Amino acid sequence: MQLLTTLLALLVSLIPGPITITTPPPLTALDSARHALNRLAYGATPGLADEVARQGVMKWIDHQLDAKPGRDPALEAPEKAFAVLETSPEKLAHDYAEALREARMAKRAASDSTPMTETGKAARAGLRGIRQVAGQIQELVVVRGAVADQQLFEIMADFWTNHFNVFYGKNLDRAYLPGYIETTIRPHVLGRFDDLLIATAESPAMLVYLDNALSVAPGSEPPRPNRNLSPRNRGRSRPGRMPAGGFRAPDPARMDSLTKLARTRRPSGINENYARELMELHTLGVDGGYTQQDVVNVARILTGWSVARPLDGGEFEFHDWAHDRGEKVVLGTRFRAGKGRDEGVKLLKLLANHPSTMHFVSTKLCARFVNDAAPDGCTDDAVRAWKQTGGNIKEVLRAIFHGPDFWAPANVAAKIKTPLEFVVSAVRALGGAPDSTLALAQQVGRLGQPLYLQSAPTGYPESQAEWVNSGALLNRMNFALALAGGRLRGVTADLDRITPATADPEQLIEAVDRAVLGGRMSPNTRAVIHREIADIHDPVRARALAFGLALGGPEFQRQ
Amino acid sequence: MNVTRRAFMRAGALGLVGFGLEPVFLDRAAYAMSRAGAPAKSRTLVCLFQRGAVDGLSMIIPHGEKAYYEERPRIAIPAGAVVDLDGHFGLHPSLEPLKGWWDRGSLALVHAVGSPDTTRSHFDAQDYMESGTPGVKSTRDGWGNRYCQHEREHRDTPFRAVAFGSQLPRILAGSAPTLAIDDLRAFGVRAGSPETSERMTRAFEDLYQGAATGLLASSSAEGFEAIQMLKQANPSKLSAENGAEYPRSKLGTSLAQIAQLIKSDLGVEIAFADAGGWDTHVNQGAAAGQLGARLADMAQALNAFATDLGTRMQDVVVLTMSEFGRTIHENGTSGTDHGHATAMLVLGGHVQGKQVAGRWPGLDPANRFEGRDLAVTTDFRDLFSEILTRHLGARDLAQVFPGFEPEPKRWVGVLRGGTSG
Repeated sequence: MQLLTTLLALLVSLIPGPITITTPPPLTALDSARHALNRLAYGATPGLADEVARQGVMKWIDHQLDAKPGRDPALEAPEKAFAVLETSPEKLAHDYAEALREARMAKRAASDSTPMTETGKAARAGLRGIRQVAGQIQELVVVRGAVADQQLFEIMADFWTNHFNVFYGKNLDRAYLPGYIETTIRPHVLGRFDDLLIATAESPAMLVYLDNALSVAPGSEPPRPNRNLSPRNRGRSRPGRMPAGGFRAPDPARMDSLTKLARTRRPSGINENYARELMELHTLGVDGGYTQQDVVNVARILTGWSVARPLDGGEFEFHDWAHDRGEKVVLGTRFRAGKGRDEGVKLLKLLANHPSTMHFVSTKLCARFVNDAAPDGCTDDAVRAWKQTGGNIKEVLRAIFHGPDFWAPANVAAKIKTPLEFVVSAVRALGGAPDSTLALAQQVGRLGQPLYLQSAPTGYPESQAEWVNSGALLNRMNFALALAGGRLRGVTADLDRITPATADPEQLIEAVDRAVLGGRMSPNTRAVIHREIADIHDPVRARALAFGLALGGPEFQRQ
Repeated sequence: MNVTRRAFMRAGALGLVGFGLEPVFLDRAAYAMSRAGAPAKSRTLVCLFQRGAVDGLSMIIPHGEKAYYEERPRIAIPAGAVVDLDGHFGLHPSLEPLKGWWDRGSLALVHAVGSPDTTRSHFDAQDYMESGTPGVKSTRDGWGNRYCQHEREHRDTPFRAVAFGSQLPRILAGSAPTLAIDDLRAFGVRAGSPETSERMTRAFEDLYQGAATGLLASSSAEGFEAIQMLKQANPSKLSAENGAEYPRSKLGTSLAQIAQLIKSDLGVEIAFADAGGWDTHVNQGAAAGQLGARLADMAQALNAFATDLGTRMQDVVVLTMSEFGRTIHENGTSGTDHGHATAMLVLGGHVQGKQVAGRWPGLDPANRFEGRDLAVTTDFRDLFSEILTRHLGARDLAQVFPGFEPEPKRWVGVLRGGTSG
């Protein structure tokens, strides 16, 4: 009781300005800690819930909100194992082009019915290397989620990479994805929404993914005429050629390694793809009040937002020559002609703080943190904080975590974990340490959420109905048994740290309940586990089984 | 009325009211308790969703119209490469494997089909096509599921509506039992030896039966029941027949496994598979290229499926669908942007084949939707209604497509008339 009072006092003292709590959290300090750890973190590690309860959950939450990018001591050592973090986009782009070239040569050799050649081996090695890059960047999500101290930071990194989804498989995004995560998303995850929006708009990964890199004003001409295109046949079908202007003319020796993007014939007009998704998915929401004409005009404003030398992993570049020089009107706001790149910046700021955007993004945050069906009160609190702070994500989140909806008992355990949340929380519950192999990321993919491989710009859904189906549940059970049984590659779980194998059944089940289910194990689960371990005489096997059943059972699927 | 095993399980679970009890779950429990054992029907509808909006105009090509070539100087399929069907329409060359089915009268095409809603959002348009309620976002279930809810003269089997993939698609979501299968061969609890696996299956079944609520309860119950049936039938042992060769793609694997389920008589009435990669904003390609590669995969998979099933194809209809079509005019990057109407394929035993059904609005600018896109002349719900009625024998279309007046006069006639039940 005293804990609760302290907790309340803390709560009240931490509430900023006009946001007030109408009902106190009727959860125990330990329950509150567990709830916060389920939502702001990938679940508890052994002993963490007690620690959070001891220091006070609101204090812990504020500490989480103060996270700074690149300042997590727990990540320093594990990140060293990820070579991809040290590899430049240029090298990634070149490796990718090289792998493609070798794969093509191997294919040609194969069609000449040449037996297994050195080329083929090299090609396979090259493609393996490329896949390795993808795997590393996926595995990093799992490793960071499992070991980071700044848990909320990792949760929000996942939220924003999903909100601003890009698809690893979209040609040069294979080279750009690592930079997208590290330098576009992560510096802004708890920063300002408009900064984050502009960063994504200028990121080569997004410019390639949603095709804006290729969108040009009709009739625009690059400053430097391409030698390969005489005026007479410019624009006609010329397969295998680089686009003129914008992209550097190809080195003939590298012609073979041109990617799909580079094989584009010279763009001759606008492409609406990014313009539409920018409003529908990133900012206003599909009912945010824009028209098809707005889509066209946004595309016109963003003509020229492109990438320098994509084959070399180049950065954002504004191509003045490709920019539409006319006046545009978007959502009733006039954009005077001839302002170049500034038109786009003005547009992005307009979108970032548009009321529809505040509402749309706040609702999505509430769905993530509170309930799939975002409570109106939560959204209202978040929107209010957004207005007051000009879209400071940290303060928007603070408003959500201090609001009554977050702590309402009806919202506790009301969400089903996504495959990523399930895998990482299971590893954490056992105090496991994932290695830098790609095994765990592959598990997340097998359960239905292959990271960075959602090709649709919507990203993955927030609602449980999308994740719960018979096949996926069976796969979760299999994962749980394998993890607890030590049969899973890529992770070591030291169950001795949680409870000795010699424990009697009652003690064992108590330990399982505490570590995995936060002391909320149902009588049925208890009875089933009891029955299943009763006739297993090997204590190590019995312990593994008890943990496996709890992790794969129904209670652990909730958060 | 005999109480089914699943109904019993649900009723048991229903007693355990806790937090997180969703309405969908209550619906499902009620559903299960109210159904009776019913005779099996052996007909199957296979829905294939081309996610990302396929370019209907380069899939089923109006090569008889000059405008098609004028609007697409870089990406039109050259007249010489088109697989001509009737002098006006032709198939993309990648669809050549399907020409034989056209010639034999088993393949019909529907052009200028789509949604009355004007959205060009993939997400919304897919949602509408799967919920079956264009313009209404609040619909909770998919039309495939509603069909199962309201047409109950069917054997009670968890395999009645099966989706291939790791997520259950919207089209099958709802209170009637459905199954999502990523890979038939790996479906089940795996824990070493068969004996241990079986024991673990039972243990998890008891865990979920006792403590799961909501979707967790119903989905797991369906999964455990399906495991038992698969163990009996063992469809994975069936190999493709009649020399059918499936492409080694996701779609090829899905269709091969759908064929195995059909041949095992597990009572599949609606099967669903999807394929992505149709959102061709850049470098769509012409006779060869991106779109061509996707279409080739689809055609090879469909051809293998129909070949594999042989005479069983008499009781099967395959319907392709996509959320909308693409712009008539090619865009600035040798691709196409989001448009309006598209084309769909209907392949199967009693299909009224060898026809491009539906009214063709033409490419004349005056007849375009919003001045730019192919107009919709067939509401997708009319096409789906015809197939549900004439193929599966649906009687209560008003329940399947709420707010939509069923009107057989609007049906385009892709199935031989009068067939029902």
